[in-house]
Amino acid sequence: MRSLLNFLKKFGNVLLFILLELIAFYLLAARPNYHNIKLTKAINATKAAMRKKINNAVDYFSLSDINKQLVRENEELKNTLQRIYKSEELTTFNVTDSIYRQQYVYISAAVVNNSVNKQKNYITLDRGRLSGVKEDMAVICPEGIVGIIVEVGRNYSIAMSVLNLEFRLSARLSKNGYFGSLTWDGGNVNSLILKEIPNHVNVSVGDTVETTGYSAVFPEGIMIGTISDFDERGGDFLDIKIQPSTDFRKLSNAYIIANLKKDEQLKIESGIQGTR
Amino acid sequence: MLNTILKYTGLFILLLAIQLLLLNNIQFSGFVNPYIYILFILLLPFETPSWLLLILSFATGMVMDISSVTHGLHTSATVFAGFLRPYVLNFVAPHEGYEQGDLPGIKAYGFRWFITYVIIIVALHHFFLFYIEVFKFEYFFRTLLRVLLSTGFTLMFIVIVQSVIIRR
Repeated sequence: MRSLLNFLKKFGNVLLFILLELIAFYLLAARPNYHNIKLTKAINATKAAMRKKINNAVDYFSLSDINKQLVRENEELKNTLQRIYKSEELTTFNVTDSIYRQQYVYISAAVVNNSVNKQKNYITLDRGRLSGVKEDMAVICPEGIVGIIVEVGRNYSIAMSVLNLEFRLSARLSKNGYFGSLTWDGGNVNSLILKEIPNHVNVSVGDTVETTGYSAVFPEGIMIGTISDFDERGGDFLDIKIQPSTDFRKLSNAYIIANLKKDEQLKIESGIQGTR
Repeated sequence: MLNTILKYTGLFILLLAIQLLLLNNIQFSGFVNPYIYILFILLLPFETPSWLLLILSFATGMVMDISSVTHGLHTSATVFAGFLRPYVLNFVAPHEGYEQGDLPGIKAYGFRWFITYVIIIVALHHFFLFYIEVFKFEYFFRTLLRVLLSTGFTLMFIVIVQSVIIRR
């Protein structure tokens, strides 16, 4: 007994240190499922609510910017409407067309928490399971892509920002359709990286880069950004830097996109991989 | 005793407020992320028992983690720093040792002693923090650069805050 006490006296601090580090690492490793931890869950809910209050006040100052953004978006929407009206004038009879079915649903959301100064940035949105949000849905804003939903609560959801070392997305050059893999290297917020574009492809600074829709997460043709710099570097592939069209430091409104045909696509794709 | 607890609670709130409201919003190209909250661990009295130091480090890290949605990241780094503090204090101890009742600061042991002490702990803390955050050797040198730059900036802010607190 005495030797045990002596041992504790001598190494108690080391044991406590190891215990506390284990707790910390457990939390770190459990990140994707941290909602399971009741404490964090409760604190997160109150925090998100508090952030919302603060954001309400802060939002007031960026109203003019948001207004401009909305006007621009309205303009675009109106333009598409006009095109539809025109085409309808030409049709002389009505057909209920069963070829076209809605594939994407947009859910509007407000950004309640956001960061850009970490290596793995996450964004909290004020829509959750009750609004139909599920994991792996795409998040965009009027300017371009924002991220992918990774965690869903009742009223809030968390999206992995494009500014996250773990983020991967297939992206293509809009002018010729060559596609590659989009990542972020943890450095400059204003520079994403597009890999796997072959050397012979003709690219120039200012070219637009958009989503491909291959992954069944993002719809096709959503703006990502423009090429700000590229480098041949001797290999078979180009090193392309992209200036994102989204300003991640000023996010306030976002849309969560649900793909209604995603399950079907994934199921059929996994079927093929299974037989090969 | 009560006075000391109140003083340190005030310091805790002040540092976390500076950290969360000001420094967490700084962004210089992703390379500079000063973390000044570690100063709380640095300034605790010499007589603080090791177990209390660890518990306080854990609490500080938890508050940081919860308020910046980084689960366990700051906790692990701060507990690491809190664990090493007594050893670092021994390492940088002046010839005469530490006076009972003195506080670790510029006032008691001079600027050079303080800077050495702070650099060692902050560098260890930042090193641990940034490498755990990235968790890949792929970005080894980039991360090293971030550690060095951020350590420099944290040091700068700590000296500023410390010289303000001394006047109080």
